[in-house]
Amino acid sequence: MTRHPPAIDDESLVAALRLAAGRDPVPAHILAAARAVFGLRVPGAAAAVPTATAAPLGVRSAEEARLLRFTAADLTVELEVTSVDGLVDLAGQVSPLPEAGTTVEVRTPHLTQSREVSATGQFAVTGLPPGWFSVVCRRPGHYPVVTSWTRIRP
Amino acid sequence: MVSEAPVSDQHTIDAALAGDQAAWDALVARFSGRLWSVVRAYGLSAADAADAVQGTWLRLVENLHTIRDPDRIGSWLLTTARREASLLSRRNRGERLIADPAATEHADSGPPRAGHVHPDPALTVLSADEGRRLWRAVEAMHEPCRSLLLLMATAPDAGVHQLAGRLGMPSGSYGPTRGRCLNRLRTMLTAQEAQP
Repeated sequence: MTRHPPAIDDESLVAALRLAAGRDPVPAHILAAARAVFGLRVPGAAAAVPTATAAPLGVRSAEEARLLRFTAADLTVELEVTSVDGLVDLAGQVSPLPEAGTTVEVRTPHLTQSREVSATGQFAVTGLPPGWFSVVCRRPGHYPVVTSWTRIRP
Repeated sequence: MVSEAPVSDQHTIDAALAGDQAAWDALVARFSGRLWSVVRAYGLSAADAADAVQGTWLRLVENLHTIRDPDRIGSWLLTTARREASLLSRRNRGERLIADPAATEHADSGPPRAGHVHPDPALTVLSADEGRRLWRAVEAMHEPCRSLLLLMATAPDAGVHQLAGRLGMPSGSYGPTRGRCLNRLRTMLTAQEAQP
């Protein structure tokens, strides 16, 4: 009986050849970064997943702000992304309006910036390196809410 | 250089879910080589490849509790890595011109849903034997395929101009020739598979 193996696409074939050749080993810093990712989990957190935002009108340009929205059952986190000189600025809005003592942590794999959320639900972080981002929102008496990791590049 | 792919057992996943760093490190050690190879196969720079691999592990941290079948964790990781790599590769070619990142980058790069995991047999279960079989097939090919595939696999950082120069062909011919060689190799492998 003839077996029909699933078609292998070019990328898989190239990857298999390289893997078998053993000439492109994984750099040590990639392994270290992958191990460190484990420290970024937030046990017991509720996930806020990305939801579509209305497409901005008009012509897009490099300077234009992007809006990301993440929703969990009882909390929405919006992030307005701008970039200056290759770095990322985030202006955030938590809704519904959070109670006093609510904090956010804006995280990249390498650093975390903590902010108190204002009475109007806003927070801001500037000058972050581009790459992967996630925001943890901690409200008194609630489980933390953590947004899905999202790649942000200028 | 290619290690056998042991089945990622439920115990390792349970331990990682319970907060055991050593169990996580075991997953990293087991799958990093494959993830690196697959993202590099999209022609990504070392920095972009690092970004794609890191994103894949971040997605696993988010989704580990949803992976019901431990045998599929390898496929899940490879599928996720391919999506990340493909997005970056398209972006580098200037194809990322869509306004809403939540509806595009993220939806595309999100964790694969159950049932939509690319099986990726070539990589998930690439054993040392199969790696040798792959290279025996390449060695049986005619030129320029034999040299082209060897060079492509062993000089992962070389650009098209450099590769074409070393093969003595115009740069514009490299891509189409590579495509034909990969097709031929695929046909040879399929023919081998079909033999009893």
